[in-house]
Amino acid sequence: MLYEVANVTLRYGKETVLAIPSLTVDKGDHVALLGPNGSGKTSLLKLLDGLLVPTEGRILKKGKPIGKNRKETPRSVYLHQFPYLLNGSVGYNVAFGCRAVGVSERETRRRVRNAMKALGLEDLSGKSHASLSGGETQRVALARALACGAEILLLDEPTASADAVSVRLIERALVQAEAEGATIIFSTHDEDFARRLTARTIRLRNGRLDDAEGRES
Amino acid sequence: MREAFLLLLSGDAETWGVVERSVRFSLMSTFFALLSGLPVGILLSIGKLPGKRFAVSAINALTAVPTVVIGLSAYSLISRSGPLGGSGWLFAPPGVVLGQSFLAFPVVASLTYAGLAKLDPRFRETIVTLGAGPFLRFLATMREARTVLIAAAVAAFGRVTGEVGVSMMLGGNIRNLTRTMTTAIALDAAKGDFERALSLGFVLLLIALAVNIAIHFLNTSGA
Repeated sequence: MLYEVANVTLRYGKETVLAIPSLTVDKGDHVALLGPNGSGKTSLLKLLDGLLVPTEGRILKKGKPIGKNRKETPRSVYLHQFPYLLNGSVGYNVAFGCRAVGVSERETRRRVRNAMKALGLEDLSGKSHASLSGGETQRVALARALACGAEILLLDEPTASADAVSVRLIERALVQAEAEGATIIFSTHDEDFARRLTARTIRLRNGRLDDAEGRES
Repeated sequence: MREAFLLLLSGDAETWGVVERSVRFSLMSTFFALLSGLPVGILLSIGKLPGKRFAVSAINALTAVPTVVIGLSAYSLISRSGPLGGSGWLFAPPGVVLGQSFLAFPVVASLTYAGLAKLDPRFRETIVTLGAGPFLRFLATMREARTVLIAAAVAAFGRVTGEVGVSMMLGGNIRNLTRTMTTAIALDAAKGDFERALSLGFVLLLIALAVNIAIHFLNTSGA
């Protein structure tokens, strides 16, 4: 089992934004989180990445509490709905994750080349982050996550600001990542996109699991 | 006015010597203020420290303290009876640099804190999720906020170049040793040597203009 969520509650002040009694995700699973805005999808993804800490309950990754050591495997990367690109070129952004975890320069160059090819970004390497469209930004952020070798992708509406071409490229890259064994958990409002990518959906409403499909015993 | 310009254009050694000394002192004190102010600003922006609000308010308040008060504080440190009395810094260049560093420190710390606090919260989450350790996070933050940090340095330089209280009190306005543009203007005006005072005033005006243009440019180019 990759993730084990037990009696997790996340509160901001008195407001409970998420309450998950039980949820498990296996390695290589492809999970779509569905639900209206404010249903807790982003909070759940951030909890799984360790960016947020539950107010109560526990989340285990490979049987161990999610720690602060980001280099521990399996590594996860969270992608914002509107990804943040660092000040600099596309190439700098895609290589950042590799450099962050100490990948050699030669291997970094190889991974960056492959990730950019997978997302149709070959011609944008030297382009500034500030001049990219929404779809290109999404693709660069996904390329950055793929290049750094994350085995778990936690994607917050990965096609939210993408045009049709970008959606197709993102979908293709995710299918490839799935084939290579990556665990992908993503939130979306696009049920067709979810259907094309995943065998399992979890519905959230008001911070709670909404249907039996996502409920775990 | 014509004589003032002629004094500058003729390359008068005394006048340009004062300008060179002023700029040198200002650069040194800006350097020391960056050395101390940057870590404090960074710590305040990222750390969850007890008393953080009070510290931010205190640093902001210090930016508005009159230069003579800062000068007096530094004076009490390096005067003969002060804790650094044996250093011999009073009425010497190190004394002026020390006082000016005190003056510029809150400017750097305050602007650094304000600039970093304005960084998009997604920035921190992004570098954390990508696995950046503390050192790379620090470097990435500096890179991301570089225009803010440069603006802090430029503002600090502007603040110390134009001050008179600290230089007068700690330097003593000694010719060829601690006389800066502002103290020289005060003395020359009192002596009735308006040409030299005006020429130095013109240089100061140019520096102030350059500093303001630089800050405006950096602020509009974004962090």
